[in-house]
Amino acid sequence: DRHHGGPNFMMHSGISQASEYDDPPGLREKAEYLLREWVNLYHSAAAGRDSTKAFSAFVGQMHQQGILKTDDLITRFFRLCTEMCVEISYRAQAEQQHNPAANGAIIRAKCYHNLDAFVRLIALLVKHSGEATNTVTKINLLNKVLGIVVGVLIQDHDVRQADFQQLPYHRIFIMLLLELNAPEHVLETINFQTLTAFCNTFHILRPTKAPGFVYAWLELISHRIFIARMLAHTPQQKGWPMYAQLLIDLFKFLAPFLRNVELNKPMQILYKGTLRVLLVLLHDFPEFLCDYHYGFCDVIPPNCIQLRNLILSAFPRNMRLPDPFTPNLKVDMLSEINIAPRILTNFTGVMPSQFKKDLDSYLKTRSPVTFLSELRSNLQVSNEPGNRYNIQLINALVLYVGTQAIAHIHNKGSTPSMSTITHSAHMDIFQNLAVDLDTEGRYLFLNAIANQLRYPNSHTHYFSCTMLYLFAEANAEAIQEQITRVLLERLIVNRPHPWGLLITFIELIKNPAFKFWSHDFVHCAPEIEKLFQSVAQCCMGQKQA
Amino acid sequence: GVCPLGSIPISKDQHYQHIMQEAAWTHMPHPSDSERIRQYLMRNPCPTLPFHHQMPPPHSDSVEFYQRLSTETLFFIFYYLEGTKAQYLAAKALKKQSWRFHTKYMMWFQRHEEPKTITDEFEQ
Repeated sequence: DRHHGGPNFMMHSGISQASEYDDPPGLREKAEYLLREWVNLYHSAAAGRDSTKAFSAFVGQMHQQGILKTDDLITRFFRLCTEMCVEISYRAQAEQQHNPAANGAIIRAKCYHNLDAFVRLIALLVKHSGEATNTVTKINLLNKVLGIVVGVLIQDHDVRQADFQQLPYHRIFIMLLLELNAPEHVLETINFQTLTAFCNTFHILRPTKAPGFVYAWLELISHRIFIARMLAHTPQQKGWPMYAQLLIDLFKFLAPFLRNVELNKPMQILYKGTLRVLLVLLHDFPEFLCDYHYGFCDVIPPNCIQLRNLILSAFPRNMRLPDPFTPNLKVDMLSEINIAPRILTNFTGVMPSQFKKDLDSYLKTRSPVTFLSELRSNLQVSNEPGNRYNIQLINALVLYVGTQAIAHIHNKGSTPSMSTITHSAHMDIFQNLAVDLDTEGRYLFLNAIANQLRYPNSHTHYFSCTMLYLFAEANAEAIQEQITRVLLERLIVNRPHPWGLLITFIELIKNPAFKFWSHDFVHCAPEIEKLFQSVAQCCMGQKQA
Repeated sequence: GVCPLGSIPISKDQHYQHIMQEAAWTHMPHPSDSERIRQYLMRNPCPTLPFHHQMPPPHSDSVEFYQRLSTETLFFIFYYLEGTKAQYLAAKALKKQSWRFHTKYMMWFQRHEEPKTITDEFEQ
């Protein structure tokens, strides 16, 4: 809704108005006087519950000073107030630096004193703008104000660089969020639009755009009230896609540093915070992680095993997973194995339309063979080692071909199994990728398969069979070694481990048909051999334990 | 290794992000930044020895737990932790122990003996 007057328009006009400095003469003084007045009123004993008495008196003063005459003046008033609150915070911080003996708590309280008053003023103006039932003006005003604060933040961030302080903005956002989520009827009716406005705000301030705000940002998106409202309170899971976008923003910021293992102290702390948020989500909202696992895995670098395991271990709460260590567990007898999981990411969109057309035609007719030989060049984007492939395209290709294969087998009246998945256009593609790709490409390809090994569902089962089939039919030991590597490296990390991953690995080492123990790479080095033995003991010796 | 695909060169933007994040780390958000102001008991984090309790006992956020506290403790919580769940729980526990709050005097009262006069408007 970028159109004139929509909430998004209001936010962006707020952002651009934050850098207009051609204020009419005397406005700054007026704003300063009014803000000071309001801070005093807010903290006075006679303010009334929720400052309502003080507010009606104050609106009179705003009228008198001519602030409420035009939208432009109101906007400028908010911008000036934000700047003043920020200025006060910087001055308090400087005071602390000049005088380290000063009590930090009192200095912070000074900042809160002004910021909380300003936030209450915003909340009251939003609540009382327009008629009681007029939600449009309220939401427009909210977006406008959020836009102004965002604009001031971005400017401050760009100008002060390393001296930028998160505190004032952090406090404004979180306190305003809490004020607007109070249990009141007027606020309940606009709650979803309020949350949308905050999500847009947080998305604009994502860490790649405002890296100096990243810690406060993570606190904002992981605040218990925000998570509860976004994932639990909002009906029909309407908050889920917006929250997933914020997590993707976080992963995108972390990705290059995690991939390069450049983890200095600040990055480690942020990473730990990310793990904690994911643990909370895994415990409280596993269905959310299930539904968006694809989008998350698409942006998490391949070497972040545990981060990905947290996401892949999520399963619906009403489901009981059979213990993977049960002897003679018949996976194909489970009823859940025929049910497809929900994928709420549009993964086919990654594929170029011509490529998708050729792919569909190959899956249908199993020709021309040139499609297979050109696959590799379609996936490869550069010649730089470590950066050769379009990872998103590999992931999309693997999942798309797999889901098409499952549908194809179902159409033929049977279910996916070790025998039904073979000798098809779909398996041609997988086998070709396993043989034709170089080590880097194959690693990414096998990871794309392993990302589907989750709780009992049709994808888990299909890709588990595919992985084992690729192992059994491999024409080179290098492929088998890499399959083992991909599975093993996801299991030697700390818990949690996805169910389908364990099932697949146990099948591989237990089933004599795979002749797992006769391969050279199992015995290539004494420490590797020891590792396999301990994992095998862990996987098979559970009865004694 | 932990970096199977090798490292990729960090772009100029990413380098800037890294520096800004490092700067932000030197003044991380304080726990009280996202809480309502506490007038009397401000948060004051400091290193505590590992053999001291780092966390309160489990279920200490229930009315049952509050009922086991002394009246003085409940009064303290009531007056010094205004507007929190702790204040609500303390008030509940006090009420269960037949204390009544006087909204004019802002104080808690309890019957010492049976009142001499009881009417619909007042007791004495």
